[in-house]
Formats: sequence, structure tokens, C-alpha cells
Amino acid sequence: MNSASRRHGWWLAAAVLLPALAALPFFLPFHRQDFMIFLLLDVMLVVSYRLVTLSGEWSLIHMVLMGCGGYASALLSKRADLLVWLSIPLAALLTAAVALLLSFPLLRMRGFYFLIGSYAAGEAVRLAWKYFVYPFGGPKGLKLIPPLELQLPFLEQPLSFVEPIPFYLLLLVVTCVSLLLLYRLEHSRIGLTLHMVHWQPSLAEAVGVNSWRYRTLAFACGAFFAGLAGALFVHYLGSINPNQFAIGEMLYILVWVIIGGTRTFAGPVIGVVVLSVLNEIFRQYDEWRPAIYGLILLLSMRFLPDGLESLPGRLRGLWRRRVAAAQG
Amino acid sequence: MNRAGGLRIGGDNYKVEFVSYDNEYLPDKALQGMKKLVGEHDVKFVMMLGGDTWPAVQPFATRRKLLTSTLLPSDLSPDAPYHIAPCEVHPIYNVTGVEWMAQNFPELKRAAICAQNDSLGLPSVATYLAAFEAAGIDVVDQNIFDPSTTDFAPVVTSMLASGPDIVCLDTCYADYVNLITEQLFHQGFKGKIISCTFDNYQDVIEKTSKEFVEGFIFQFPDFDDPALRQDFINFKRPKDFYEKFVERHPGQWSAVAWEYASIMDLWKAAAEQAASVEPLAVLEAMKQGGRAPHAFGDASWWGEELWGIDNALVGNWPVVTVRDGRARIEEFRSIPEWWSCYKDLLVKHMEAMGLMHYQQG
Repeated sequence: MNSASRRHGWWLAAAVLLPALAALPFFLPFHRQDFMIFLLLDVMLVVSYRLVTLSGEWSLIHMVLMGCGGYASALLSKRADLLVWLSIPLAALLTAAVALLLSFPLLRMRGFYFLIGSYAAGEAVRLAWKYFVYPFGGPKGLKLIPPLELQLPFLEQPLSFVEPIPFYLLLLVVTCVSLLLLYRLEHSRIGLTLHMVHWQPSLAEAVGVNSWRYRTLAFACGAFFAGLAGALFVHYLGSINPNQFAIGEMLYILVWVIIGGTRTFAGPVIGVVVLSVLNEIFRQYDEWRPAIYGLILLLSMRFLPDGLESLPGRLRGLWRRRVAAAQG
Repeated sequence: MNRAGGLRIGGDNYKVEFVSYDNEYLPDKALQGMKKLVGEHDVKFVMMLGGDTWPAVQPFATRRKLLTSTLLPSDLSPDAPYHIAPCEVHPIYNVTGVEWMAQNFPELKRAAICAQNDSLGLPSVATYLAAFEAAGIDVVDQNIFDPSTTDFAPVVTSMLASGPDIVCLDTCYADYVNLITEQLFHQGFKGKIISCTFDNYQDVIEKTSKEFVEGFIFQFPDFDDPALRQDFINFKRPKDFYEKFVERHPGQWSAVAWEYASIMDLWKAAAEQAASVEPLAVLEAMKQGGRAPHAFGDASWWGEELWGIDNALVGNWPVVTVRDGRARIEEFRSIPEWWSCYKDLLVKHMEAMGLMHYQQG
């Protein structure tokens, strides 16, 4: 398939999928609408994480960066009385700035050292939220965070995004725009350079690429979108506390990305959607659920080591072999 | 409850249906769960553990005027008028254990305290500090550790270095209490141990010794305790409940094992009195006259000065010790009586840790 027809395929898929996704919450029960909201936020989170992995680094701070966005927007809107519509993008920018600052010590390291360094930095930030009751609320965090509201001229009451459907539709737009920007970034010259920094670091340095600068760019851009997801998350949930961004939650991101696969843009999205849906399906089995979830992880890692994204290719290969065998 | 005829309203009997949702102690899952319970099952009363998950649920539950209960009264606030703590008034009841210890062991004067740094541990630290101060006991070491701690040897070494007569395990999680107690045994501690809970104490006895654990003070009885057969106890057939629980869930009896049953007793009585299961009618019946039957005796709705709203049911609480390898109630003591004498101390320590309701984010 050439790139033009692949592009047409993407547009066609988007033209079918987007209206379907927009209509979906109208046919779902109340709590499933919330599930869709948290799923979209997770999609933003894993795709932004993939941008960081493009440069060859796996970090353990991404969840904390999401928390940075959440805390920043909560504090700006709650303590500084800033309009929520402004506090959200500002919080995303502040998160990118935090990542930029952290990149000076962190991105001097590579591989395993970077992984451990990012964990330590994340814990330092998270423990600061716990330690300082003012302004972060300490271990109990912040609550009664103002929700998103929109005053429209033809409505008597402001449109409240506390209700799941308006928030979901807004989030769908933000997620689509974010994914489009991240996709464009990956397929731009910058994205190609990031691939080179990952796979051919010596060659990249030899041809004059400042790999530290590109890794920093990926780290800060990933942080921006994680912060954006965090900010949207807290204004819907209305509360935030440090435990929500602990290492256990970060491991979910790693699992989603690894199980989905990182080779293609769609890999992490497939991972988070499939595993989250399975988690919900098995919810009724209570204490058996973690075991079932673990078994699925083991089986997929054993039989699909390149992630779920490799499944269509494997099935196609299997089909071709069968056809060839049938033809003699 | 259902075997005894269920809920009797307007001359008819109704079975009570229980629906559960595992929120994984995650705020977003708790919100989904609450919406599922309300939207799909039309539940009239939601019992929660509380803590980190409550703030995410609070706006929705309050808007819907849904009656909800928590085991952690620190979740109570004036902006959540339908949220009640009708059973456990953590951590205020811990004052009764310290008060009993001070009266029975007046020679103990130096305490070291440890707790995990979270919304369960810190209010409890403030309470123990107030209780020790009220009892004239010096706190010689405070060790607040991260909840992810797995090796408690350094925590115990640091506490013992201050030469305490008493080691207070605060409201550490059950696993931590057991691990810290084992460390205290290995490091040769000879003094008194006091804690909020002591789940699975039989395991600790096996790993240490019966003699070492003898006299361990905590706050949660086994429900086959003879002291729970007294007339003022409102929990129905505690021994039968305990034996059935242990038979169904061997080795899983814990501090909170009886609490949801106790809350259901209270809710049932209020629903029958109100002749309705509608949340506001039940709440009104529950709070009528400012008093209600708590598991450990009649109690008052209280909490305005601490949490900004009188939605916690407070009365007597048992002081429990390990005697000859079994948990046994020593005495029931009054929380309101302690409060009337020492409330300034508790408010002082709560304020110092930023835990009063008006200091919350």
C-alpha cells in the first residue's frame, strides 16, 4: 500500500469512526459514559508517552507529569480564581516547563539510568505534593475543584461540563486534535530525527544532530499532552490527590504501551482500549479479575511479543500461508 | 437481615438487595461505581470505605442527595450534608486506649510513634499526640514513613533509639502493624505496644511469642468477646456473626469486618421508623433526637467542631488487649467525655497538621 492510499484509508477510518464515537455516549448507560471519558484521557496519556519512547527513552515520570497538569490547573482555578478555560492550557504549558527543567539532570542519563532517574524525580515531585499541605492539600489533596462551564448567549444557565456527555464531546475534540498534532509531529522531520536519535545515535551525532535537544523536545512535548490530560481529568473529577499518580498507576501506562506495541502510532491506543475494555468486562469476577488480567498479559506477551498491533499482520501471514498451502 | 424477614415497611416485608462495586481505591473508578449503583441499580444507600475515593464522588452524591456512609469521619464536611459516619469514628476513638493505658500503667511516660504518611495515618498521629499530651506522656520520637515502605527495621531502630516505654503504631495498615511488631520483637523491645488495629494477631504470636504480644493494646474486639453480650450492646448476636464470618472467610476477620453489618442495622431501623427507603427520610429518622443506637451502645450525632457537621455517631468505644493469646475487651470508655475535657488539645494538634475541615484543600 503506498502512502497516498494509506492516507486515504486513515481519512476514511476517521470519517466513519469520529461520528460513531461522538454518538456513542448517547446510547450508553450513565457510568459507561464515564468509562469512555477516562478511556479517552488514557488514550491521550499513552500516545503522548509514545512520543517520549520514540527518542529511545522509557520514563517512569509520565503519570506524575499528568499530576503536574492536574495540580497546576486545580491551583490556578481554585486558589488564583483563573478561568478554567485558561487554567487548562496554562497548566499544560507549565507541565512542559517542569519537564524542560527536569530534562537538564534527567536527559544526561540514558537507558536504565534514565528510567531510574525519572522514577526518583517523579517520586520527589509526588512526595512534595504530599508534604506541603499548603498549597497542595497534603495526602488528602485538593477537592471541590471548579468544573468547566460555558456561558452561551442562547442559554439561561451556563452549560456545565460536570455532566458526562458535554464533557465527553469536548474531550473527544481535544483528544482528536492532540492525536493529530502528535501524529503530524511524528511524521515530520522532527519525528524522523527522533527515530534516528533512537536507532542510530552515533550517526545522528556524526551528522550534527543535537540528540539531547531532540530528546528534550520529545520529553517536553509528551509532558505537555500529559499535563493537558491531567488538567482535564481534575476538572471533571473535581478532586486530586498524590496517590492517584503513584508508580502503580504508571505501570498501567507501561503495560498498555507494551501490550499494544510501540512500532506504530496506533499500537498504544489499541493496547489501552483492549485492556481497559477487558478490565471492565471482567469486573464482575471481583477477586479473579487481576488473575484473568495477568493471564491475558502473559499470553499476549508470549504469542504477540510485538504487541497487539502486530496481530493483523500475523493473521494476514497465516492466511497467505494457508492459501499457498491449499494451492499446492 | 433477609433471613429474619427483611425490611418491614407499611406492614409489608421487603428483602434488601446488596450490590457491590470494586472501586480499586481509585477516585475515577469510585465515581463510575457510584454512577453505576445509582443509574443501573437505583440504590438507596451507599456504604463506602471513604478516604481518597470520597472527594471524587462527593459532588455527584451531594447533587443527587444520596445517602452515603464512610468509615473515615475525616471525609465529613459541611458541604456534604448526606454523608455520615455512623459506625467508626476514626481516629478519635484511639484516645480511649491511651487513656486506659495511662490509668493502668502510670509508670509508662515515654512514647515513640510511627505512621505512614497518608490520610489514614496523619489524623491518627494528631489524635495520639493529643491523647498522650492529655495523659502526661512525652512523645520522644515521631517517625512518619512513606506508605510504600517495606523494610521496617530502620523505622523500629530509630524509634527504639529514643528509649521509649511505649511504642505507638498509630493507624498503620494491618500488614505494617504485624511487620513492625515482629521487628520490635527481634530488636528486643520490652515495653508496651499500642495500636489502632491488630488484625491477624495470631500470625504475629506464631512469629514472635505469646509472652511478647501479651498486653498489646488496640481498639477492635473479636466479636465472640463475652463483653459484647452486655445489654447496652446494639449489635445483634455478635458471637453468631463472628463465628459465621470466620467459617465463611477463614483468617480474614479484621477491624472493619463487622462495620458494614452494623451500619446496615442502623439503616434498617431508620428506614422502618421512617416507613420509607428514600435517602432523606431515612437520614431524618436516623438523626431524630440527636441520638442513635451505635454497635457499642447508644451514641450522639456529633462532629461540628471537628468536621464542621454533626454527622458522626459518637459514644463509647472498647479498649482491647491481648490476654493469653486472645483479644479481649478490657473496658468501654466514652469518647465524648474525653472530648469535653481535652478538645482543645485535639484541635491544636489537628490544626498543626493542617487537618481541620477549614484547612482542607
